[in-house]
Amino acid sequence: MSSDTVFRIDELRKEFGGLVAVDDLSFDLQDDEILGLIGPNGSGKSTVFNCIMGIYDVTGGSVQFRDTDITKLDTHDIVNRGIARVSQESNPIPSSTVGENIDLFTYPNDIFSLTGGASQAEILDIARRFDLDEKLDTLPGSLPHADVRRLEIAKALATEPEMLLLDEPFAGMNQAEIRELSDQIRDIHAEGRPIIIVDHNMKGLMSIVDRVVVINSGQKIAEGSPEEIANDETVQKAYLAGAEVTN
Amino acid sequence: MSNEYDRSGEPVVQRFTREFLGEPNRYQIASAGVALLALLTVPFWAGQYLYVFALASIWAIFAMGWDIISGHTNYISFGHSALSGGAAYTTGVLVHNVNPDMAMYITFPLSILAAIVIGLLFAVPTLRLEGPYFSLITLLGVLVLTQLVYIYGEYTGGELGITAVSTLTYNLTNLYYYTLIPMLLIGAVLVVVSQSNIGRILRAIGENEAAIESSGIDTTRFKLWAFLMSAITMGIGGAMLAHFYGNITPSTVLVVDRSLEMVAIAVIGGMGTIAGPIGGAFVFIILRDEVLTVFGSTGRWLALWLIVLFFLVFLRDGIFPFIWSRIGSIGGGRDE
Repeated sequence: MSSDTVFRIDELRKEFGGLVAVDDLSFDLQDDEILGLIGPNGSGKSTVFNCIMGIYDVTGGSVQFRDTDITKLDTHDIVNRGIARVSQESNPIPSSTVGENIDLFTYPNDIFSLTGGASQAEILDIARRFDLDEKLDTLPGSLPHADVRRLEIAKALATEPEMLLLDEPFAGMNQAEIRELSDQIRDIHAEGRPIIIVDHNMKGLMSIVDRVVVINSGQKIAEGSPEEIANDETVQKAYLAGAEVTN
Repeated sequence: MSNEYDRSGEPVVQRFTREFLGEPNRYQIASAGVALLALLTVPFWAGQYLYVFALASIWAIFAMGWDIISGHTNYISFGHSALSGGAAYTTGVLVHNVNPDMAMYITFPLSILAAIVIGLLFAVPTLRLEGPYFSLITLLGVLVLTQLVYIYGEYTGGELGITAVSTLTYNLTNLYYYTLIPMLLIGAVLVVVSQSNIGRILRAIGENEAAIESSGIDTTRFKLWAFLMSAITMGIGGAMLAHFYGNITPSTVLVVDRSLEMVAIAVIGGMGTIAGPIGGAFVFIILRDEVLTVFGSTGRWLALWLIVLFFLVFLRDGIFPFIWSRIGSIGGGRDE
């Protein structure tokens, strides 16, 4: 099977005052791929996602999605073009139930549309994928942590994305939950969605990513298969002699 | 499974009413019906209070106009009387300076247009900014506009105002219905908007704007739309107030105190619900102009603001959402 480049960032640069958070970073993503973007804490991973999603204005470089330059678009335009991001923080609307939270993410971006969005049955389908179907009438505040994280992914999928950005999806989860979520991520990918996963720890990612890009201080320091990266000396140095990579 | 999402066979009409009206129980439907009937029959049971009920209807329009932007999105305006006052003064200035016999079908649309223009002047630069900027700029807006009225006293009548506006009617019963019917129509439109996708998006903006942006919703456009709906509502109410009083002075239609009263009405009635502020207007205006007058001309204001303070501390969601949910829980509530 041949694959095409669906997404590319080119010489991406983001400076905050004098601080260079992302330093002329380039990588691409094939349409049949799960890419891991890893790096120590503070290496600029989340900043890269924020630049992709239009939350930060970039200082230089470009972001391309399906041969279109999306560098300067607003967040909602980027989402409507087919990129959804699950951010590190959980962001549910606290006064709305799980079902209403998912529903909200299916509403048309139309100021004259009084109705619309997903049907109840479609919401039920999305919720079922993440074992939230019995909790649709629950408020997010009374969900356990893992369910809140699942809700975030369910919301992202409700926007019907063509590509997914996952920011530390395994944070705070136990081993059983990590395994289950890994399976769900593989399923989402198997439906034809390329995925980029950010994590500071390779352990959870090893089994699901096809390729890894390692960044440190905003620069790419290595790129390759998970096995190559695990044995890469530069990477191990960046991670304080490999403690976090191999343990 | 017993949650409300398993409704694949639900008829279209039923889904539509549920979308817009929720699922009120029979007691809630009955109370809403009684309240509506009470408003429609005020001349028969409170004939001596028609004037204050008519005034409260206009204030209900203001409170709804404030609520559709500020009560929903939490972009709190402290200067909404700039919109209604701007509309009232447009009516007054046209009649006073251009043609005393200018017809309402000319002055009314121009007054609404003035409210829209003033609104866009505030909204366009500030609604993109988060934090306190919106509130501060609306507050400054009404202060600036009030000073402009004094400075251009030659056209605006200054502190004494303009007295040449024709009153709607001298018949109090007619006056009441002239204010009640437009208020109910505006209320019906805004309740539908509030209960629709648009209202849900606006309330979600109030709770977590960044999250809604990441759902693909252009939050700035929705905020501008809400502000436009608000400005139109304020324009209608403002022009009505000019004809209600038959005169326009800064203190009756424009000064910042009037803006704060709009906020207070929406807060005690129940922010973000449209129907709550309607009820809030009747409670507030009747307290202000009838009940609390026993405390004298200064004492009534003190008592009024203390009551508002009481609601802010002890009943932050407002009177009417509280009553509505209490009635809703009769007989086990919706999850029976």
